[in-house]
Amino acid sequence: MSLLLLLIPLIAAGFVLVARPSNGRQIALLFTLANLALTAYVVMAFQSGGGEALAFRTPWVPNAGISFSLSLDGISLLLVVLTNLLAPIIVLSSFGRTYEHENRYYGMVLMMLGALNGVFMAEDGLLFYVFYELALIPIYFICAIWGGQDRIRVTLKFFIYTFIGSLFMLMSLIYVYLQTGDPLAGNDVIRHSFLWRDLVAVPLSPSTAWWVMLGFFVAFAVKMPIFPFHTWQPDTYTTAPTGGTMLLSGIMLKMGVYGVIRWMVPLAPEAMHTLVPTFMTLAVVGIVYASIIAVKQSDFKRLIAYSSIAHVGLIAAGVFAWNKTGVQGSLIQMFNHGINVVGLFFVADLIERRLGTRSLADMGGIAKSAPRLATLFMIIMLGAVAVPLTNGFPGEFLLLNGIWNYNAWMGAVAGLTIIFGAVYMLRAYGLAMFGEPNEATAQFADLDTRELTILGVLAFLVLVLGFFPQTILGLTDQSVNAILGAVQI
Amino acid sequence: MKALLILFFTAIAVLFAGLSKNRKTLQTIALAGSILALLATGIDLMLGDTTGLNEHYATMFRFDQYALAFSAVVLIGTVLILGLSGWGFRALTDTLGDNYGLILFSLCGALCMFSFTNMVMLFLGIEILSIPMYVMAGSRRDEPESNEAALKYFLMGAFATGFLLFGIALVYGATASFDMQVIARAIAEGKHSLGMLHMGILLMLVGLSFKVSAVPFHFWAPDVYTGSPNLVTAFMSTVVKTAGFAALYRLFSSAFVDAIDFWGITVAAIAALTMTLANVTALFQTNFKRMMAYSSISHAGYLLLAVLAIGQAGSAGAMLLYTLSYSIATICAFAVYILVAEQNNNATIDAFNGLSKKEPFLAAVMVISMLSLAGIPPTAGFFGKYFLFTAAFERYPWLIGLAVINSAVSIYYYFKVIIAMYFVRDEASPVVVTPVGFKWVVAGGLVLIALLTLAPGSVYGLI
Repeated sequence: MSLLLLLIPLIAAGFVLVARPSNGRQIALLFTLANLALTAYVVMAFQSGGGEALAFRTPWVPNAGISFSLSLDGISLLLVVLTNLLAPIIVLSSFGRTYEHENRYYGMVLMMLGALNGVFMAEDGLLFYVFYELALIPIYFICAIWGGQDRIRVTLKFFIYTFIGSLFMLMSLIYVYLQTGDPLAGNDVIRHSFLWRDLVAVPLSPSTAWWVMLGFFVAFAVKMPIFPFHTWQPDTYTTAPTGGTMLLSGIMLKMGVYGVIRWMVPLAPEAMHTLVPTFMTLAVVGIVYASIIAVKQSDFKRLIAYSSIAHVGLIAAGVFAWNKTGVQGSLIQMFNHGINVVGLFFVADLIERRLGTRSLADMGGIAKSAPRLATLFMIIMLGAVAVPLTNGFPGEFLLLNGIWNYNAWMGAVAGLTIIFGAVYMLRAYGLAMFGEPNEATAQFADLDTRELTILGVLAFLVLVLGFFPQTILGLTDQSVNAILGAVQI
Repeated sequence: MKALLILFFTAIAVLFAGLSKNRKTLQTIALAGSILALLATGIDLMLGDTTGLNEHYATMFRFDQYALAFSAVVLIGTVLILGLSGWGFRALTDTLGDNYGLILFSLCGALCMFSFTNMVMLFLGIEILSIPMYVMAGSRRDEPESNEAALKYFLMGAFATGFLLFGIALVYGATASFDMQVIARAIAEGKHSLGMLHMGILLMLVGLSFKVSAVPFHFWAPDVYTGSPNLVTAFMSTVVKTAGFAALYRLFSSAFVDAIDFWGITVAAIAALTMTLANVTALFQTNFKRMMAYSSISHAGYLLLAVLAIGQAGSAGAMLLYTLSYSIATICAFAVYILVAEQNNNATIDAFNGLSKKEPFLAAVMVISMLSLAGIPPTAGFFGKYFLFTAAFERYPWLIGLAVINSAVSIYYYFKVIIAMYFVRDEASPVVVTPVGFKWVVAGGLVLIALLTLAPGSVYGLI
């Protein structure tokens, strides 16, 4: 079953790229909806029977201990649901623009979705690495072919930066891999293994664990991004086409956080004591730093990009705290951030298509001519600000609780995110939606059916998850307990 | 041995058939011979047969699994190149038969280099490989660059062979034998004159490093690769390089393995220098072939990691997978380059501007080749690099760190080609007509890369 979740987008991608049908976009939408339906079925199967029945395992390079193993537990399942839920939304939101060589665009989007599914389901370290990198190639093409100005330089910087980071992760993985297995076994026994459970079982001395954890950290810090590895992000998010930005911010950065939860901490827990204070500090500094910059932004897309750094800093800090509320909070907030940020970028794209500008100074008074947009935008924006009864609130509350339990000062500084978040989001909303309309915004067309559907679904999710966060918490509860228990700090 | 004989007779047949000057016939004979040799090697590999014709022949060769596997790699490379030669050699008229003959003879030399058990055979193999290459490099007789390439290659190659011979002589002086087993035993038992042996090993290393273009013996490579005719460059950067490495590995793992404490650090230093210098220089190149030459030198640096990992399980298999994926990717890249550059008279990377618009298939082939050369998952090149890094990691972690950084650096110049093909917006697509032979070769190459991606263990586990 997990194999199907992976294969459907990849086969669809291959089909769209090679056969180049004239209705490529509809086919892409169809396949993503099919994958979403399959995901719903998988969730039900998981809740009744557990993850083992859904796993898929087959050896890939047996004499090197590499296997093609996919499995689902609560944490993976949550992120797979996020990916496949956002997939049709992202595809549908791309319908708004006509792209040259459209089939390639949708093919790349589908390929990336397949790779993202693979990352979250991989149980084998090298398979995780392969999918992690595989996701980079389509997003590189999406951003560089269909992006905005200066795209070539910006995307190459993004690619090389991310790639260097993940090469360090590969080194850490190889090191731990070489320590697996029984050194006294004979030569014809498969000595090493990349499976998660074997890698986790390797005991490391604190000094080697320090290096291993650092290698992983560099990769994930660039991906999320965490200050000071964030310099690629605002430019890349701004130059990318909307679908690309949504993929990057909605799902791809979750790969980094997931990597920390699933791979970095379990493989090198011996280094947690020494390194976590540094990581936590960087994350919290990032929150404040990015929020302050966001307050000053006039480019709407860039503002959302910086707000994303701030939110992810909070999520990362919650993971580093490595307690129940912190990790639970990070999972639920990852899900919520995905929904909120996709909604925000969609609104930004919508406005840009109508007005031809992303600058907040050129907007104003849109609420008068587009009340539906104003309402739905407000709901999503309040979700991003983490107002109670929206989805952001339970996540942020749990995260701040977790960080506070780790260290009260960190919790206090991280709590500034609430204030800053309100400042830049409300400022942006006010500048765009309220005030006096100018000639351009006076004739702002309200939402058409497609846009209404997308924003409606997202706003609905914001509210539902705000009222009933237990749906997510229940899904991940057991797995979080399992992983916290498996890792002895 | 069967492959060697088949190739030898095919080469002679081609030389005689060259009198007819019929391109079709010549290409067919050469291709048929190579494919037959490949099949023979493949069958021997499957059967694991090291007896019969593969036995020791006067203690000079031994066609064991190692030799058969690498023979298969270079034969695959040659079959692909011969497939391209129908259109690729269109400028050659009266010397066409000689050219095919030279390629096949060179290949015979490569096979000797994979299977030698005696230093004399190593030397003979290198010479049989190189001398036809000196001639082939200069086969565009009316182009000054081609003549320059041939002369540079010949002069520097002869000089390096001198070092190799002197090294062999010193090793003989120290251990009283040319036979690898005897030398290994002498080293293990310590019955030798240490200084002479070490000097001999170093000089042999110098000679062989020249052949594989390792720094600081690489200065001939960019000029020779750029000046030679395109197909010959493809042959040099794949077959000749594979042969050089397989020979280097075989020599050091059979004869000098117990002296690893001596030569290990030297080879490590050479590897570090090679990777770094070549990658950094490649960043600044605008001529595609020159960039590929420097990239080829950097791959030599990575392959030296396999030599450093002698003794670890899987080091030979890693080298096998790496050379196979590298050869196929390079040949596919050269195929696209030949079409674009020769039909539009532009040898720079700018020649590729806008290629994806009219020729999406060729552009896709080039992308996959570049990604494989850069070592980006999930291509075959990634697995090659991964296995190499893992094999050498335990002994030289710092070197792997350097290799990893170099891989990241190399992305920049490989991506220059991808950027030119896909992202440059206002350029008109270069006009390209793809002959049938090229389509087959490129498709075949893609299929092989895909197979290697799906089942890298099949090659990695062979030796």
